[in-house]
Amino acid sequence: MNGLPIRIENLDVSYGDVPVLHGIDLTVAPGEFIALLGASGCGKTTLLRALAGFIPVADGHIEVGGEPVGTLPPERRNMAMMFQSYALWPHMNAAQNIGYGLRLRRWPKARIAERVREMVALVGLEGLERRNVTRLSGGQRQRVALARALAIDPPILLLDEPLSNLDARIRQNMRHEVRSLQQRLGLTAILVTHDREEAMSMADRMVILDTGRIAQVGTPEEVYQRPDTAFVAAFMGAENAYPVNVRRANGAVFVSGPHVAGETRLPFAASLDERGVHCPAGNGGPMVARFRSEAAALVESARLPEDHLALAGRVTRQSYLGNVYRHSVRVGEHEFLVDHPRRIAADRTVAVCIPAGALNLFEPDPASDRLPSPHPHPYPSPVTGPDPVAADAAGGRAPSPPTLAKETRQ
Amino acid sequence: MRPFSRRPRHHPVPAGTAATKTIRPAASRDTHAHLRSLLLIAPALVTVGLLFLYPLGYSLVWAFRDETAGGWSFANFIKAYDFYSLDMLFTVVIVTLATLFIGVLSIAIGGYLTLGENRVAVAALRWLYRWPLFIPFVVAGQLMRTFLAKNGMMNNMLVGSGVLDPLSTTSFLDWRGIVITFVWKQTPFAALLVAGAMASLDRSTMEAARNLGAGRVRVLLEIVVPQVATTLMVALILSYVVMMSVLSVPLMINAQTPTMLTVDMAWRINSYGDYPVANALGFISYAMTAVIAWIYLRQGIREGGKPA
Repeated sequence: MNGLPIRIENLDVSYGDVPVLHGIDLTVAPGEFIALLGASGCGKTTLLRALAGFIPVADGHIEVGGEPVGTLPPERRNMAMMFQSYALWPHMNAAQNIGYGLRLRRWPKARIAERVREMVALVGLEGLERRNVTRLSGGQRQRVALARALAIDPPILLLDEPLSNLDARIRQNMRHEVRSLQQRLGLTAILVTHDREEAMSMADRMVILDTGRIAQVGTPEEVYQRPDTAFVAAFMGAENAYPVNVRRANGAVFVSGPHVAGETRLPFAASLDERGVHCPAGNGGPMVARFRSEAAALVESARLPEDHLALAGRVTRQSYLGNVYRHSVRVGEHEFLVDHPRRIAADRTVAVCIPAGALNLFEPDPASDRLPSPHPHPYPSPVTGPDPVAADAAGGRAPSPPTLAKETRQ
Repeated sequence: MRPFSRRPRHHPVPAGTAATKTIRPAASRDTHAHLRSLLLIAPALVTVGLLFLYPLGYSLVWAFRDETAGGWSFANFIKAYDFYSLDMLFTVVIVTLATLFIGVLSIAIGGYLTLGENRVAVAALRWLYRWPLFIPFVVAGQLMRTFLAKNGMMNNMLVGSGVLDPLSTTSFLDWRGIVITFVWKQTPFAALLVAGAMASLDRSTMEAARNLGAGRVRVLLEIVVPQVATTLMVALILSYVVMMSVLSVPLMINAQTPTMLTVDMAWRINSYGDYPVANALGFISYAMTAVIAWIYLRQGIREGGKPA
């Protein structure tokens, strides 16, 4: 069976009196692979379980293939789900687990046996059919769970963090296997995960959830390169945050700040194809710049590359990640993590250079406390004394607080 | 010359013969430890031995004692069989029937507590079902006498609601009354164990079955019950053994013949002072429970694990 479309409209779900999902709207095309991504407690599993029928819907509408399913019990929704714990039945062997859904559909025994053989071959479990599932390894159990879900030829496959219990190497393989099976069978699939790499590598589109609301829906490239909000940017890895002043003019962005020498002109990118600063909202004034550790570079010389925002700072420590050194760089009140291929000694003065294409500008968010950022204070507290690093950046002059006001437009 | 060959032989051997050196004190330490631990459990052992094993063994052995002829024989068993073979059958049928009902009801109660979706009904059932646990058998028997009699509460209710007319009422104070009382009294116990086991199952195993299209009854019978089978078995065997040994209920509800073996034993002792036949009857009821215990143990061994 080919995949069916799903339409979720204005969905509200509560656990008792506690509302968990608020006004979720989502349309999934037939055969599409959607990843629900978010931090713990954001409601992604709740959304999946509401879709499967395990949680009653407080308000809203769920349609599958044009039919409303919101009030149907789980057994009549015709969706196959893979659980995080695999949820295999310990009193049955692998083949019985895989064939149970077919038994429920009253298939004749011979057909069930044939279908089970097919599924066993599909997921590569030959020779283990008669083994009790309690005596299988994690990866094998996962395959049984996948085969069990696929055996009934479901139009919709729901995946509740099915790979999180596997070790890293098997997980990589299973991502590709699940994805290629889904494409080959044409199923509509919805994956819940908190692993953004997993979501990006498997999904056609990603849905980022933030405390029960959809923060952004888009292709992995869109969500990664052009996050709509500071929350999405932080969740997708742009955890370094720095307050700047922004002026927009002539298709460019002019950025200034206490540790920026003068006003830096950067190109503005209106779409994914252009290279430039991503600035989804706001026309200027105080904003927060967000960037990823791996997108920025450290420059020790006075010659700074073009179309980069340079922040003067000082290395405080570094750790080795294998391919790069991750440096902790102090810029005024802020601590950034920046990757660099060479190790730079602590206390060296460096410029943190962020290419325009890696810079995201957002309006300051008053609720920024819940951003998944390791730097709890993205805004500067009033500078109480002369800051040597800032003094370096300003050419030896100690900055007079608050410096932001000095360099604003008017 | 070896450096320590001058030492007398009985002297403890020093370095070089490490084995002897370490083993000897360790061995004596072990003996001490054994003695100490034996001493620690001695009160418990003595209590079990004196108050349980000795009387049990005594009554089992003396079931074979022929007091008129002197010596050992099967005379008591033959007499017990002649007098009470019908009661033996009656006892087995009653207890087996009650056990089956208890099994069905405890699965139903545990299943509803686990899979029920009406939260009020689940809460009410959870609160209600345990009450009979706190009522002794003798009180349960008394209660059922007033409830199941020809003019008892049950018939009054049925007549009052127009289900029965007053002339067609019958008393349930016979074998049915015993079964009803046993089931009423023992179901909460079995349900308590079974519901506990069900609650500790991985809920996603039930959700996975529903997700694939199984209704709640199928989930209960095909997914939940097989996973709690061991606990259910234990609950039923314990109930079986308890019911085999209850005297008050058959005595109060069904004093005519046939009746249960406990009543016969009490009768032999109280009216005739006939301990040998009472012992033989006790031996027989012990054998009946032993059969069940054996089935259970064999099941456990076949499954390759220890019985829970």
